[in-house]
Amino acid sequence: MDASVTTAAQGPDARAEALIASYERAGYRRCAPAILQPAEPFLDLSGEDIRKRMYLTTAPSGGEFCLRPDLTIPVSRDYLASPAAGKPMGFCYLGPVFRHSGDGAAEFMQAGIESFGRADKAAADAEMLARGLEATAHYGLTQPDIQTGDVALFVNFIAGLDLPPAWKRRLIKDFNRKANLAQDLDRLVLGGNNERPEYQGVLAALAGADPKGAHALVTDLLSIAGISAVGGRSVGEIADRFLEQAALGASTKLPRDVRALIERFLAIAGDPDQAAAALRALAGEADLAPAIAPALDLFEYRTGFLAAHGVDPARVRFSTAFGRGFDYYTGFVFELTDPSRTGDPLVAGGRYDELLSRLGSAQAIPAVGFAVWIERLAVYGGGA
Amino acid sequence: MTSPLVLAVPAKGRLQENAEAFFTRSGLALIKPRGARDYRGAVAGLDGVEVAYLSAAEITSQLAAGAVHLGVTGEDLVREMIPDADSKVVLIEGLGFGFANVVVAVPQAWIDVRSMADIDDVATAFRHTHDRKMRVATKYVSLTRGFFSAHGIFDYRIVESSGATEGAPAAGTAEMIVDITTTGATLAANALKVIEDGTILRSQANLVAARGAPWGASERELARVILDRIAAQQRARAFREVRARFAACDARLVDSARQKFGVVTPFGGPTSSGMLTLHCPPGEVYALTSFLRENGAEAVAVADLDYVFSRDNPLYAKLEAGL
Repeated sequence: MDASVTTAAQGPDARAEALIASYERAGYRRCAPAILQPAEPFLDLSGEDIRKRMYLTTAPSGGEFCLRPDLTIPVSRDYLASPAAGKPMGFCYLGPVFRHSGDGAAEFMQAGIESFGRADKAAADAEMLARGLEATAHYGLTQPDIQTGDVALFVNFIAGLDLPPAWKRRLIKDFNRKANLAQDLDRLVLGGNNERPEYQGVLAALAGADPKGAHALVTDLLSIAGISAVGGRSVGEIADRFLEQAALGASTKLPRDVRALIERFLAIAGDPDQAAAALRALAGEADLAPAIAPALDLFEYRTGFLAAHGVDPARVRFSTAFGRGFDYYTGFVFELTDPSRTGDPLVAGGRYDELLSRLGSAQAIPAVGFAVWIERLAVYGGGA
Repeated sequence: MTSPLVLAVPAKGRLQENAEAFFTRSGLALIKPRGARDYRGAVAGLDGVEVAYLSAAEITSQLAAGAVHLGVTGEDLVREMIPDADSKVVLIEGLGFGFANVVVAVPQAWIDVRSMADIDDVATAFRHTHDRKMRVATKYVSLTRGFFSAHGIFDYRIVESSGATEGAPAAGTAEMIVDITTTGATLAANALKVIEDGTILRSQANLVAARGAPWGASERELARVILDRIAAQQRARAFREVRARFAACDARLVDSARQKFGVVTPFGGPTSSGMLTLHCPPGEVYALTSFLRENGAEAVAVADLDYVFSRDNPLYAKLEAGL
């Protein structure tokens, strides 16, 4: 029998309850989403990789369900289903989550906060980090390592570069997987995507053609061939990308200076003030200041709010390359760790402004939150 | 009473026919003493072996659980069904039948897609355009996830399919598929094409041992006998025996035949009377006989081999090393 399922999580201890009580006093409404959740939103939003870590089950009626592997998606769904949907609301929670992980316990306790609908994003981001620090302090760890990043800076930066849209899509998608990003950069420089002898003649002939005419031609060719089974992609979509490839054929090689720029960007790290200065300097030099301004302005406001919450900026480590490996983060991300122990996150979170739309919200609802690993903090034994 | 060594063999279809033929060739005739409908059998002349007739999927899970000692099943099932398969089972030998490739296939209409890198790009674009993820129909959920992840593809959803997977894109239940194919004919008939670097696994039927089964001295001895016969048969099938006798035959000539035709000399040679026995790969037989005749042989006899036993037992050595 799998050892991981025999160890039940201990019930919430008094200290965890006290932590949640303090969040409730700060205005966060306590919620307790269902433990059994539909599997679809997790697979759809977190990716297929999470499937091997989820406890899945099939209902007699056929629907796929799971034991909740985190609380961000369940809290978001409950909020969207409530009359408060769309209004600014903050929730806190404490309860078990379930994830298969080698030898570790499959059931463990998480506390956390999810904050929806706040337009003052910089202030909300900073408050989440401060509330996370309250959690470690509550358990007697007053000086955890604070690692932060900001996905929006990378997205803004790439958007400002002179690159084909296909490559921008790809670099942004791979930001959370650094190994792939390095591969992408290698391929961009080598132009390795250009070995297409089969259609090279067609592509060469179409490369200079008027886009509308070329699109019509490819669409016609596909229709003449009687192709109907296109597997969910429209003939127009196929033709568009075919032509996009034709356009790339002439310019798949990334100029070395653009690659160097991306690498210099990803090397920027330090405390938030140093990083902001370095980002301004690089953006100015590369003529990217307007592109990066929205994210960089927000970044600097946030640093100000952190100071207002009593977080010394010198203690905050920021890196442009830091991401948390989840696709749904769109901006600020952070982790609190204790490198003198395991280095596993004790508290982690970030901004996920698109998640609620992807869960079906008609209006865009900004959102930010974090989760606390109760068992990892319980070892510190101090505090309340 | 000692517990038997359990050998699991596919219970039906081509895999059963091929497996039985394979064991018979290896001098291990499978018999059903209690009648053809029985799902338990034995090996003629080899006491202590119990043959369990199961489906290939059951064989795979029984091997993973250590409930049988040896089994015949496809590598595709082993890799799909057993997480971290190499820690649970030992793939002793490919058996030369049940060939099938697990491949990624897309509609032929996708003229812009040829490589996994294209799929990566199309998947991300698809999510942006359609506001949902591209669906991959497959019964190979783990293999697909591992392969897509290795190619940096994350914008997709798996739709589990237990049959007629190749029909999913036309039916509109998925955009693309991962499935097994032998000739590609079924894929082509469904207007699908295989991605150039989209072969996830080249699979065939394997003789597989369970690391977790009880391997006492008697089970090991029976496994040694079984694997010795299989090895002898496989060695025999890999060669033809070529015999000749001529005065000009010397060590230099044998060396040259070794290099040119890949022959081996199981009995050394040539003898003082010029008698030479060579084991030659089947494809080189005619060239070798010409070579020998050019160098003075009057007559060259070629014969099939039934078994070639040797002192070493490479298959059993592999099993021992894995347990």
